Amino acid sequence: MSLLIPEKISLSSASSSPGRCPFPTAEYPEVEILDAKTREKLCFLDKVEPHATIAEIKNLFTKTHPQWYPARQSLRLDPKGKSLKDEDVLQKLPVGTTATLYFRDLGAQISWVTVFLTEYAGPLFIYLLFYFRVPFIYGHKYDFTSSRHTVVHLACICHSFHYVKRLLETLFVHRFSHGTMPLRNIFKNCTYYWGFAAWMAYYINHPLYTPPTYGAQQVKLALAIFVICQLGNFSIHMALRDLRPAGSKTRKIPYPTKNPFTWLFLLVSCPNYTYEVGSWIGFAIMTQCLPVALFSLVGFTQMTIWAKGKHRSYLKEFRDYPPLRMPIIPFLL
Amino acid sequence: MGEWGIVPSSVVLTSFQVMSRVFLIWAVTHSVKEVQSEDSVLLFVVAWTITEIIRYSFYTFSLLNHLPYLIKWARYTLFIVLYPMGVSGELLTIYAALPFVRQAGLYSISLPNKYNFSFDYYAFLILIMISYIPIFPQLYFHMIHQRRKILSHTEEHKKFE
Repeated sequence: MSLLIPEKISLSSASSSPGRCPFPTAEYPEVEILDAKTREKLCFLDKVEPHATIAEIKNLFTKTHPQWYPARQSLRLDPKGKSLKDEDVLQKLPVGTTATLYFRDLGAQISWVTVFLTEYAGPLFIYLLFYFRVPFIYGHKYDFTSSRHTVVHLACICHSFHYVKRLLETLFVHRFSHGTMPLRNIFKNCTYYWGFAAWMAYYINHPLYTPPTYGAQQVKLALAIFVICQLGNFSIHMALRDLRPAGSKTRKIPYPTKNPFTWLFLLVSCPNYTYEVGSWIGFAIMTQCLPVALFSLVGFTQMTIWAKGKHRSYLKEFRDYPPLRMPIIPFLL
Repeated sequence: MGEWGIVPSSVVLTSFQVMSRVFLIWAVTHSVKEVQSEDSVLLFVVAWTITEIIRYSFYTFSLLNHLPYLIKWARYTLFIVLYPMGVSGELLTIYAALPFVRQAGLYSISLPNKYNFSFDYYAFLILIMISYIPIFPQLYFHMIHQRRKILSHTEEHKKFE
């Protein structure tokens, strides 16, 4: 840090209406922001509005340190404690007349929407490269040829539909609690999605692909599972969206609605994950492809971790949370 | 022992080392009988053995709160030679196993098959060898860094005695 002298910013509302001050000066809290690791004084704000929120304080801090935009600031009361929320009001926090906040840089941030769009557009495009047997993937004699198996065409439709659905949901359905995530996540996530998509697509669209052992029966059953789970997953996303008004970050217990697909809420906290696993199991049975099964397994593991976390926070936040519900698999997990 | 808090090693680094050792023993040396008479096997076995004798003596004495400086010194100095020795032995062994893996199609499956899956153990071993390039320097320099920290600490303590 090049600045040794902390910057001071005055926020007194008295300066906008000279002569009239609604509160005596002593009532205005002051805020000092220290680096959580070095305890260096980074910023001093005097005469802060008592009803100021953490979000407003973050904006002020950015003025003196423009490289730390609000999304990458973590402000806390204790250097090792939890981050304060943007909605928290300064006055309601356990601070004296001079509030000491500790700052931690969260690193470069990227918006959730950007990450989702990138990580989902990849598989959509990549799978098609393999489906159309673009040169340099399989032997040259197979360039731009088409598979003679119906299930391969069906699989392409299902896979593409799945990712188109995800892209549209990202743009029009989901309401995110957090605006951003650390930048390094986009590399990690894209490697996972794009890598697995390429791996699966390679085998399904391979000239030596072997169709399912039980033929059309197996494909029909698997397709039914896939379609039901896609509809289910979409229904849950819509139900969750309706729980939260646009622009808000409220959290409520989700309940079943008139839509039968949402009745799974009676048994699990995160039926969207349940349906998602179901879709991929359907796809694995349809294609009878081991990499797809492995992808489903890895996805299931990750979603179980997320579901358990979500379930735990529901239990912590709501005293009256329905006791029958399990995180992701009814009665089991 | 890191995850039970008995010794201060990182669980991740140690698991990594254990996994790589198990892999070398079972998936390479045991599986490819032809490499068992190679000198490279002797090389890594000697390196690992000496390392482990010193390392466990270090842990034991530390837990008994009576650590002779010689053991601490040995643990944080001999790796400078033993580590590259072990890595060389490992890489040479894997390299020696390659032609036999290719010939026998060991642990490999090719298309077509009803699970629409393929795996080429030969290519996998080559990838493993390549992975030593980013991983080994990191581990090596981590130990060098630890050495500087821990051995200079002792020097300072000795000065004040």
